[in-house]
Amino acid sequence: MGNTIALVGNPNSGKTTLFNALTGSNQHVGNWPGVTVERKEGEVRFRDKVYKVVDLPGTYSLGAFSEDEMVARDYILTGNPDVVINVVDATNLERNLYLTTQLLEMGVKVIVALNMVDEAESKEIYFDVKALSGRLGIPVIPTIACRRQGLDDLLAAASIKIDSAKNGQFAISYGESIDTKLITLKSYLSKSELAIPLNWLAIKVLEGEEYALRIIKEQEALQGSTDFRSFYEELAVHRDEYQLDIVDARYNFVNTIVKGTVSRPAEPKTTWTDKADDILTHKIWGLPIFAAIMLIVFQLTFAIGEDVLGESMAEGIEALGEIIKSGLVSISAPWWVTGFVTEGIIAGLGEIIGFIPLILVLYLLLGLLEDSGYMARAAYVMDNIMRAVGLQGKTFISMIVGFGCNVPGVMSTRTLENRKDRMIAILINPFMSCGAKIPIYLVFIAAFFPKHGGLVLFSIYFLGILMALIMAKIFSKTLFTGEVSHFIMELPPYRKPTLRNVIRNMWDNVSEFLVRAGTIILTVVSALWILAVLPVGVEAYGPESILGRVGSLIAPIFKPAGFGTWQAAVGLFSGIAAKEAVVATLGMVYAGVSEGAELVSTIRSVFTPLTAVAFMVMTLLYTPCAATIAMIKKETGSVKWATFAATYTFALGWLMAVLVFQIGSLLGFA
Amino acid sequence: MLKELLVEIGRADYISKYMLASKMNQPLGLIEDVFTQLIRLGFLEEDEGLSTCDLPCGRCPYASMCNTNPIKTINLTKKGQDYLTSLLN
Ligand SMILES: Nc1nc2c(ncn2[C@@H]2O[C@H](COP(=O)(O)OP(=O)(O)O)[C@@H](O)[C@H]2O)c(=O)[nH]1
Repeated sequence: MGNTIALVGNPNSGKTTLFNALTGSNQHVGNWPGVTVERKEGEVRFRDKVYKVVDLPGTYSLGAFSEDEMVARDYILTGNPDVVINVVDATNLERNLYLTTQLLEMGVKVIVALNMVDEAESKEIYFDVKALSGRLGIPVIPTIACRRQGLDDLLAAASIKIDSAKNGQFAISYGESIDTKLITLKSYLSKSELAIPLNWLAIKVLEGEEYALRIIKEQEALQGSTDFRSFYEELAVHRDEYQLDIVDARYNFVNTIVKGTVSRPAEPKTTWTDKADDILTHKIWGLPIFAAIMLIVFQLTFAIGEDVLGESMAEGIEALGEIIKSGLVSISAPWWVTGFVTEGIIAGLGEIIGFIPLILVLYLLLGLLEDSGYMARAAYVMDNIMRAVGLQGKTFISMIVGFGCNVPGVMSTRTLENRKDRMIAILINPFMSCGAKIPIYLVFIAAFFPKHGGLVLFSIYFLGILMALIMAKIFSKTLFTGEVSHFIMELPPYRKPTLRNVIRNMWDNVSEFLVRAGTIILTVVSALWILAVLPVGVEAYGPESILGRVGSLIAPIFKPAGFGTWQAAVGLFSGIAAKEAVVATLGMVYAGVSEGAELVSTIRSVFTPLTAVAFMVMTLLYTPCAATIAMIKKETGSVKWATFAATYTFALGWLMAVLVFQIGSLLGFA
Repeated sequence: MLKELLVEIGRADYISKYMLASKMNQPLGLIEDVFTQLIRLGFLEEDEGLSTCDLPCGRCPYASMCNTNPIKTINLTKKGQDYLTSLLN
């Protein structure tokens, strides 16, 4: 068998392409012993000689971070390849040369395949290959693996390298102190018979890498020397420093290699991203901009969702309801079937369906905003405010999640390490108005504020955030005190949101929404419907039904808030089961009030604008749904905190609703 | 460069790899690499947040609209913090 060539390179450097180009069909695949990493080998004939080619796993480094790295490292150290071809992605030179530097440290024979030079050229990146090769002290061969260009030169260089002595000189300094330590360490190591390159081992010892430390431990001669041991212990003290300095030295080395040997188009000093971030994360303007963007989102939601799509949808539902109803009547279905279907399902579910376009548009817009990368900026802007109330900004991330649903919102507080931050974040999450509450607001908006939907919805969300911040401040002053922990947020690059994708998914979203919401609503409404028609003989949906009586029992507590009807009470309580059910429940219980009339006009007749606002405030703040309470119990591990969360939110919601109604009445609103 | 970046991170409230790249006059890929190095050496910790909402979303009607773009945060580990403190002294 001839000589062995090993291929090493970063992932996506074109290593596989090169391997295939070299070996053609002459290859077989197996596994590296003990790991699941694929081992590929093949043969290449060049100038009457046959070379074995081993394709090592793609890796950025030769440490112990992953199986891939270890396989590559171990093979180079102990597999005795005659030469290593380092495949380097020319469009990403710095990153790729970091690996090259590590190969040079190992002292194995290396040649560089500077691959993808065509791609580099198209990006106007050019190389002084000769200078590059000179500085690295090893041959550098430009290749275009996918077009099989440069392969002969590469193999020629490899065969020369195999027969020649070691690599040329390369000048890497890790700084004076480390360099001296390395020399001392190498002189210690040279007394032991080691099969691996001393230079590499010494560096790895300074870096504190497990693998290297283990080898040192096994050297009895070294361990017996007190001199060595005190030297060795001294090294451990400065390990952090050495780790950073050594990695840094590699990057600096790469920098000196690249400087003057690579030319590329100048990158613009400040990109528009920076400029955008200067404005969007501005200390003063960031927040108003965030508010303005949200307001625009809500306004657009109503403009598109209601005016354009909503009307036709609502009419369609109404017509469909009528058809089903007359159908049921014509086949003379029993009263309870007709009742359940028309008052229970159509009145309940139908209301929700009418609002689907609005909900969809809102989520579409929020999705676009998130896709664009703006939400991270918003979270950063909020960070300043969160800190002012004694919270860390990461809390806002769980709050953003809470706008979708409080269950994952509460769950996402897991990423907060500090108990104080976490408990507060959990307790305030229910104030983030979840998606399921939207239809409730929409009914009241449609009844009383159809012209100002965006503004009303915006105000509700804003109030939610405000209450969350106020409660957070109170909690951090009373229940949980402690330090605010520091963290840094990463602002991702802006991206063009993919509208096409979003729209394509829209239908899926609608159908999924209908099925899931339908299931929840049906469950709750069915249960309530039974309570609304029992006991047999009473007027269905009347105050004498079981539901009516229970509702009437609770209703008085909502009197001071202006909506002390049993129907409103029942509606709110159904929301503790699931917020999706509130509108459907209202639809059902109010179906008894004015036969057949749609919910919005009934609401208009039993509420006033002021009580409507009070009701919406209550809806925003009161007890979260059962699933959220369960999640709070799970995450806090305490029934006590779950109960607290369920009750204090109710109390706060009630108090705020009462305040709205009482102050509003005093000011002469009705 | 690692130290430089670590110091930057220690000082900053937010990190934009783009901005750091243009500030330090290095290609973005390299800055990302250095981050990875700092993480693997244990000076930094990256937190991807809840990158999926499959689990708790369960039967939520809005699950399919749930945006799962995580907001990444970065923490200095104790090692990182200790190191920065020692650098300042
Ligand atoms: N333009 C160009 N593309 C290449 C070259 N070599 C490989 N590629 C492409 O780069 C991609 C990654 O190559 P692959 O061999 O899978 O990379 P690996 O991860 O290093 O094995 C593939 O799409 C290849 O077709 C090259 O020299 N020039």
